[in-house]
Amino acid sequence: MARRVALVITLVLVVSGVSRTDAVLAQGRGAQAPATPPTPRAQAPIDLTGYWVAIISEDWRWRMITPSRGDFPSIPINVAAQKIAEAWDPAKDEAAGDACKAYGAPGLMRGPTRLHITWLDEDTLKLETDYGMQTRLFEFRGAPATAAPSRQGTSVAQWIIAGGGGRGRGGPRFGAMKAVTTNLRPGYLRKNGVPYSEKTVLTEYWDVHTETNGDRYIVITNTVNDPTYLQAPWITALHFKREPDAGKWNPEPCDARF
Amino acid sequence: MNDMTIRRTVLVACAVLACALPASAQVDLTGSYQTRMYEDYIERGPGEFMGNFTGMPLSDEGRAKALLYTSNLPSTYERQCLPQSAGVFQYRPVGFRVWSENSPDGNVLAWVIGGDNLRNDIRIWMDGRPHPSPNALHLAGGFATGKWEGDTLTARITHLKTAWIRRGVGIPASDDSVITLHMTRRDDLLTMVTIQEDPYYLTEPHVVSRVWQWNPRGTEFDRPQCNTANEIPRLEDTGIVPHQTPGANPEEDYMVRMFNLPKEAALGYAETLYPEYRKKIKGTYKPPADCVSRGPGYCCGWIETQGRPGGAPNLTCNDGGFGTLGPRGRRQGATN
Repeated sequence: MARRVALVITLVLVVSGVSRTDAVLAQGRGAQAPATPPTPRAQAPIDLTGYWVAIISEDWRWRMITPSRGDFPSIPINVAAQKIAEAWDPAKDEAAGDACKAYGAPGLMRGPTRLHITWLDEDTLKLETDYGMQTRLFEFRGAPATAAPSRQGTSVAQWIIAGGGGRGRGGPRFGAMKAVTTNLRPGYLRKNGVPYSEKTVLTEYWDVHTETNGDRYIVITNTVNDPTYLQAPWITALHFKREPDAGKWNPEPCDARF
Repeated sequence: MNDMTIRRTVLVACAVLACALPASAQVDLTGSYQTRMYEDYIERGPGEFMGNFTGMPLSDEGRAKALLYTSNLPSTYERQCLPQSAGVFQYRPVGFRVWSENSPDGNVLAWVIGGDNLRNDIRIWMDGRPHPSPNALHLAGGFATGKWEGDTLTARITHLKTAWIRRGVGIPASDDSVITLHMTRRDDLLTMVTIQEDPYYLTEPHVVSRVWQWNPRGTEFDRPQCNTANEIPRLEDTGIVPHQTPGANPEEDYMVRMFNLPKEAALGYAETLYPEYRKKIKGTYKPPADCVSRGPGYCCGWIETQGRPGGAPNLTCNDGGFGTLGPRGRRQGATN
């Protein structure tokens, strides 16, 4: 009797569930491992490539247009930041050849921009904006050994593979990209001179949501940590909608005033 | 083969099956979440300017209805609970709780979102049940079904009651509104994305993404239900519905006067949501004078923690005509 019970259980195992775990078990059975590990591009659980447009449905008055000097609700700035912001002078930035101060990664992504995302190579995701014509690189193999601080800093990325997908068996795959950006030159969180320092760390989680009508959205959950100018981490979310092509892509250089 | 052998076989079977089962609930969403008002702070905190519909894709009908709004309107019995519905929580300054309701065998039947911002909980059924007839009861929390897409819980909410999309400025939502909700938790942050469609009042889906933070101290429920009360005695039993006169709302051009905004931006035309609109007004838009010299008008720094532990000392700002804020909070030293 006991033997029969064990046999039935074994049969149930074989018929019902093991097929989903065959990839894991295959290693234990001594199957051939791939000669080289898959590249980040091949591992991508979500497709971020293509053209995307920011929908400015939040903080419109501070994102679509340049607000007045001193107009900076929503950002948990400290007194040092307030003093700098209240002394904002775009003419000085222009004279210093620094018209792109509001286009560094922490401020750039809140701008009224389109994104063009492509794979630069198997390990690097490239993001371009038409707003200010900036380029961010997401490095999946780690940060370059030496890099000078820059407007877009150094972004180290990794995939977060989520459960519930087909895992390469034809079903949908799910996950997100996490990116941590450091090595930034000081810049502005908001166009009207709200500052961030070189100590800033920008942490982003990139998710893609596909709607039943086919619309696709990138949603980025952002945390800006700046011990110099913020009282608390500045936590926001941004959303971009997928566009079919480059038809509305319209690059323009940085503008310190508008 | 004995009982011990059977036990071992069953244990191994369970372990292997656990690996093989599809992951139907990857993330435990249970907990209390605190709002982090780092976007649309004025709307969610002290309150929005009347006539500010920026960021909205309103239809002509939606705009016309919103322009009838007056601040006395929510004092009528029938409308006191309209700011507490499924879409409005994105614009509220309060937190919420999420919990699961399980079947006796432990399966999650529904995820539930409840809080001060909701007259009815949003109950997201996970058991595959269909949405009811369009003629079925409509609730402030609607009827919601959900599924996991990786680490994101996606819900579709129908059967909503008439409500406001944004509290305090009268932007309406009809009872034919449908909301798609994406809930994604990463560490202690919960990102909530709502995509609201309305066949009458919106020309395209209204997309909002917000972040809440897990709060181990729990979220207080000030008003788990909406209770109505007579707020303006002179309206009692009169049948009067406070409203602005169509076409004569004195606040219709408030944002134009206050911030020099183009009127189509202030009144929520969809074209103003996209980058090309900025290019369209470049060269013609003139920002108002700077905040310090301009005087009253929510034009200030970070006030949420002002005067409180953790707040920056000496941080002051101007609070919309109520004078400079003092160290003990809002409206100290009010001049009117």
